[in-house]
Amino acid sequence: MSASHTVQGLETYILFTVAGTTYALPSRDVRHMEMLEGVTRVPNAPPFVDGVVFSRGQVVPVVNLRVRFGFERAPYDLRTRLIVVQSAGRVIGLVVDSAREFVNIPPTAIQPPHEALAGMSGRYVEGVASVGERLILTLDLSRILKFAENLSMDLSS
Amino acid sequence: MPKILIVDDSATIRKMVRSSLRPLADAEFAEAGNGLEAIEQIALGPVALIILDLNMPDMHGVDVLKFLRRHQGWSDVPVVVLTTRGDEASRDTAMEAGATEYLTKPFAPQVLLASARSLLADTAAGPRV
Amino acid sequence: MTVDNGNPFSDFLDDYFAECDDHLMGVRRLLLTLESSVGRSEINRSALDELFRHFHSLKGISGMVELRAAEDLAHSLEDYLRALRQREATLTAQGVDALFDGAQILEQVIGARRDGTQPPSIDGAVAQIRRVLIDAAADRAAAAPSADTLSTAATARATQPRWRCTFSPSADLVARGVRVDSVRKRLATAGEILNAVPRVTRDGAVMFEFELAAALDEATLAAWRADGIIAEPMGDAEMSDAGNGRATPAGLPELLPSIDAEPGQAGGVSPSHFVRVDLTRLDELMRNVGDLVISRARLSETLGRLERRIPSAEWRAIQENAVAIDRQLRTLREGIMRVRLVPVGEIFRRMPFVVRDLARETGKRVRLELQGQSTEIDKFLIERMMDPVLHLVRNAVSHGIETAEERIAAGKRPEGTIVLSAATAGDLVRIEVADDGRGVDADAVVARATEAGLPVPQGTLDASHLLSLLCAPGFSTRDESDRASGRGVGMGVVQAAVEELSGSLSLETTPGAGTRFTLELPVTLAITDALIATVGGETFAVPQGAVREVMEVPASGLLQVERNEMTPYRGGALPIVRLGRLFGLPDSTRERLHVFVVGTGAAALGIAVDRIVGQREIVVRAIADALVRVEGISGATDLGDGNVVLILDPAVLARHMRERPDRVFAATGASR
Repeated sequence: MSASHTVQGLETYILFTVAGTTYALPSRDVRHMEMLEGVTRVPNAPPFVDGVVFSRGQVVPVVNLRVRFGFERAPYDLRTRLIVVQSAGRVIGLVVDSAREFVNIPPTAIQPPHEALAGMSGRYVEGVASVGERLILTLDLSRILKFAENLSMDLSS
Repeated sequence: MPKILIVDDSATIRKMVRSSLRPLADAEFAEAGNGLEAIEQIALGPVALIILDLNMPDMHGVDVLKFLRRHQGWSDVPVVVLTTRGDEASRDTAMEAGATEYLTKPFAPQVLLASARSLLADTAAGPRV
Repeated sequence: MTVDNGNPFSDFLDDYFAECDDHLMGVRRLLLTLESSVGRSEINRSALDELFRHFHSLKGISGMVELRAAEDLAHSLEDYLRALRQREATLTAQGVDALFDGAQILEQVIGARRDGTQPPSIDGAVAQIRRVLIDAAADRAAAAPSADTLSTAATARATQPRWRCTFSPSADLVARGVRVDSVRKRLATAGEILNAVPRVTRDGAVMFEFELAAALDEATLAAWRADGIIAEPMGDAEMSDAGNGRATPAGLPELLPSIDAEPGQAGGVSPSHFVRVDLTRLDELMRNVGDLVISRARLSETLGRLERRIPSAEWRAIQENAVAIDRQLRTLREGIMRVRLVPVGEIFRRMPFVVRDLARETGKRVRLELQGQSTEIDKFLIERMMDPVLHLVRNAVSHGIETAEERIAAGKRPEGTIVLSAATAGDLVRIEVADDGRGVDADAVVARATEAGLPVPQGTLDASHLLSLLCAPGFSTRDESDRASGRGVGMGVVQAAVEELSGSLSLETTPGAGTRFTLELPVTLAITDALIATVGGETFAVPQGAVREVMEVPASGLLQVERNEMTPYRGGALPIVRLGRLFGLPDSTRERLHVFVVGTGAAALGIAVDRIVGQREIVVRAIADALVRVEGISGATDLGDGNVVLILDPAVLARHMRERPDRVFAATGASR
């Protein structure tokens, strides 16, 4: 009954920036975006989890992508956004430096990531696309959200 | 401890009657929502006064009254029937069937209280002439 | 909230309103049944009788609280019903309209008294009824009345075998909860009571005799016998006798067929099978059960310490008992939660009226089908779902269903259908509002959204995107003066209401064919009492049941014993744990610490916080994702400002402290 996210073979993506780099996630994985207010810290959560917020009545973990990708943490500012995504039945919020655009990217424009593109976020990148003059990294959401069950044990020194 | 039986299909009215009669210091109250329950209450123990609504589903108050008056043990229990404005026919039938007094709804609590008091005092004093 | 106007019974206004609600509910149900009798030669007599009784009662109690307008209007309605019963009038469409309109005004008058607002005038409604009665009198004069055939549901079931059931009340039976009223209900559930007569036996005892048409099996007969109900088959020759104050069969509450598309439901559960329970009592029960659960957990801890000292066979026996208790507690808890459940039909019951009125106003032909009215949902949710569902239904009529002409042009039946249904799916309740109308016009939505300055993703939008746009703030309904869409309440409010209750809203639509909105809500809600405490600038909630006591302790009075801090307590010493340190938060600089004591005896522990701020009833939200599932945190709640407040599990914290005192909960550094 419903139209898909693709139009003539194009898929719509949401673009956002983390530490200066532009990344993309398929809009079908994105529930909505909001500004961040009042994240409650959760003791003993993994270090890349800033805490939890209520989003549409649900308790949603807040994953800080800067920290997740290995960058230095930065304070939230007016451009910081929470992108609420869904993946395998889970609803998670991703904190990014900024987010505003939707673009359509044809699958043909996405190349697999270069081996040399290790970098900080290498593990989580699924592909590289050129859109106009920009280079955009598309992300593998499930890898971002996966974490070792006993990660918390690693914290105790 | 005289037991007063309040019979009315409206829970609200039963509460109101109970509240009106609360000043009767030593009285005990029982309630019934229809004729059969009222008769059951009477069967379970002696009742000193009955406040009886007439217009009830299943068994009209008049029929309850007739049943009572037919039977030895209860023919003397004072009964105050509650009638509604405009239903004089039921009121008359009730009086003929043996009601002791009638009160028209909406009634003022003091009036009900006064009736109850005097009827209870009479009973205590002895059978009515 | 109610205003005292000097009426001696003004204290009973709450009871009055509650009783009016019951009567008005019956009136609505019966009017819809009666409407289908218009123009037919048979009239549903028992519906007439019941309706008459409702208006009569409403008149009576309204008189007692001196709500004159309600009393007079009910009196008028009663007059028409009396005329109908006495065959002085026939049921016409005009008469039905007068009854509907009158009932609606009556409801508004009572509601206005409750809300303290201006009531509508009853003059129009009273005049309408008077006209109907005048016309009826004229008709009667003009033509010979035809005898209308009696049609009661009684005739349908009279083919079942007859039983004479007798019951004598006694103090013993009363002590067991068996009274004539409960007996009558049981009989009515088993079959149909044709007659009920009180008698006095030779020895002067009272006996109730019921004539029952039913198919009874040995098990039922035995169960009844055990409760003092003796049932004997009646031969054909026996007839129930006249006189002796018998009850009129037509007066007994008849179970009217329900108006929805659920054949299995007709005449199913008798409304008198239920008791009215005060919600606060239920809440208390839930709290008690919550306490029980916590006590059980404490017991388990205590027992755990004894494990080493008990022979293993006995230990196994203890464990079995413990497991059994756990299971029973869970069942009890679920049972109590279920008591708060109320049929969704409460929301549905006024929908036919809404649809009828709105269809009339917009000149459309609409049929409403209700399904799954007996599906149950927490009472707390019912009240909050009323408006959203109402809005969706109104939308369906005003924006979804096309006019008859448009429909015919599109090859559809001229009458549109809206299906309002409810069903459970696991621990969710799904409520759907589906119409076979024009569907959501994506282009129009996009245009409106763009006009409103909302961000619109490119390309064709799927249903969930459309829904987001429809619900976005700023996307209000096109026509502000279109009151038919619900007084300017936008879809956003519907979505917010649903999500606030941990539910979800979704949309499916096909242009030209129809639209379906689906609301999903959790069946029950966990609510508990909690103490609210602040520590190092953060706020936490502690379930009250886990807390034995609360005290204030001077920080300077704490004794250092090895690595622990202790405070004198009841002749001994109580170890103190600073919650802040557990969570890596800054120590309190306050001189006096607030401590809540958990555990008993040797296992008692004081958890120190900066301040205990107060006590609140909280709604517990689950923390589902593994990323944030942490020992010592049992859930989350919202204290009203939209921020998450974590709910502590003190027993776990306490055990953690005892077992691994060195390990501190790591802090996660989030920037604010």
